[in-house]
Amino acid sequence: MNKANNSELAIETRGLVKRFAEDIVAVDRVDLSVPTNTVYALLGPNGAGKTTTISILTTLIKSTNGSAKTAGFDVVTQADEVRRRIGVTFQEMVLDEELTGRQVLDYHGRLYGQSKVQRKAKIAELLALVELEEAADRRCSTYSGGMKRRLELARGLMTNPEVLFLDEPTLGLDPQNRASIWAYIRDLKEKQGLTLLLTTHYMEEAEEMADTVGIIDHGKIVAEGTPRDLIDQMGADTIRVTGSDGETSFTEKLRSLEFVQTVHTGDGVIQIGVDSGNHRLAEVVTLANENSYTISDISVTKPSLGDVFLKYTGRELRDK
Amino acid sequence: MSAAFILWGKHMSKLKVHSEEMFGMLIQPVLWVILFGLGMKGLVGMGAPGGDEYYIDFILPGIVALTALGGAIGGGVIWLNERTSGVVKEYLIAPIPRLSILMGNAMSIVTKSTIQAILIFIVGILLGVQIELNPLGWLGGLVLVTGFGIGFAGIALAVASKVDDPGGYHMLIFMLNLPLLFMSNALYPLESLPRWMEIGAQINPTSYAVDGIRAMVLEDGATLAGGETLSLWLCFVVVAVFAILGMGLAYSVFRRVTK
Repeated sequence: MNKANNSELAIETRGLVKRFAEDIVAVDRVDLSVPTNTVYALLGPNGAGKTTTISILTTLIKSTNGSAKTAGFDVVTQADEVRRRIGVTFQEMVLDEELTGRQVLDYHGRLYGQSKVQRKAKIAELLALVELEEAADRRCSTYSGGMKRRLELARGLMTNPEVLFLDEPTLGLDPQNRASIWAYIRDLKEKQGLTLLLTTHYMEEAEEMADTVGIIDHGKIVAEGTPRDLIDQMGADTIRVTGSDGETSFTEKLRSLEFVQTVHTGDGVIQIGVDSGNHRLAEVVTLANENSYTISDISVTKPSLGDVFLKYTGRELRDK
Repeated sequence: MSAAFILWGKHMSKLKVHSEEMFGMLIQPVLWVILFGLGMKGLVGMGAPGGDEYYIDFILPGIVALTALGGAIGGGVIWLNERTSGVVKEYLIAPIPRLSILMGNAMSIVTKSTIQAILIFIVGILLGVQIELNPLGWLGGLVLVTGFGIGFAGIALAVASKVDDPGGYHMLIFMLNLPLLFMSNALYPLESLPRWMEIGAQINPTSYAVDGIRAMVLEDGATLAGGETLSLWLCFVVVAVFAILGMGLAYSVFRRVTK
């Protein structure tokens, strides 16, 4: 397959807007620049505009305003070129359950004009990857949710896409499957120059897989950067202390220290925001002793992408 | 257009899975032929042009048309399912012409409904209906059944593109189904109808498909049909126009929903 062109960006949007009714703005002036051969994770609460953005980028719906290019081609005027170069798994299950797993992949390949030989080889490869070899000739209606998801992923990869869109791809998969699928995708990215845009509820996946994370809320990108940068923006580490006696004087002293940024108490836990947790741990312990505060538990936690998400959207990504 | 054939093949391959369903759908028309044909033979049949002896012969073309109609409606449900289950998204992001999605569906619907119609005809023959031994006439009948099926496939696809649940689909289709069958010459000759129904029957494409089949395929078809036959060329023209209008309707609705 021909490479799109020399464009460095696999996905590029400028002022992308999608309005569903006069007053419902699902996507609000979104500018995305996803370089070729990188992984971009779009994170956001439900209804934030993730799926709508993906629908526009995959030519499923048209934007109200602005422009979008996928794999170097305009999603409206060169939709067919885009379609030839993308693979998609949708958020909801989209499977013809009357077909067997093998048939699903085979018909998909046919629609993209793959030859019989190509299809056969690719199907064998993908069935092995998603560990559906034994179930391949059973109808999909007999599959478990996880099996269906894996089959859909295999279908998305069937046509060797340049850009792969995965909307909540690992929802409902067990950790082992998730790990093997990510390993495969990482491999594809390295060997074939694949670009990936994904949405996920799993912060660890985004943190681990993504080169860039974009947090979207109310249709707007509210934060964007590498997972590292976003987390570092959160600044301090947190030292969590549990203990008894002398809490008042201890926290008063803490607040007066230069390296302490915030002190929160509640439920018997003192949360101390400091510039560097590992370095300040000893000082905090010393201070506790000086104030006859008896420590029963102490830990240093790093802010996570989940904290970043919470900061920008005011919401937890998922209920635990 | 090869994508249309791929979708057609996909739908046809499911026939193996759905063979019970396909034959199940044949039970209704078979019962029509037997129960209605035999039951009404004495009552209605006496008024039929060929007399009660040939009442089953008289209604067979009508039941064949009804079968094609039923097949088309069943086919529309498949498209409705593909839409509501989201399978259509897989087609919409594939590098295939939008029109081929509609064409593939229409082709599989018409193929199935025509096969069903032919099977009913064979049932009729087994029940003793006498046919003209004229392959050209059979071909003409086949063209009419297919054209009629195309028209209804179009209506079924249009409705299935618009509504979002099977209940609504069947409601709308049901409202079309009965008047089209009863307000036609399928079960009784045109001249026996009250004036207003006769007018209805004359603008009903079912009458033309039925009358044409009757005249071309059945032995002594013209006699069977009685005095008021519709001319054969008119039957073909009306069915052709119906087929084109049905598909045109499907296309315009389909284009709006897939954008």
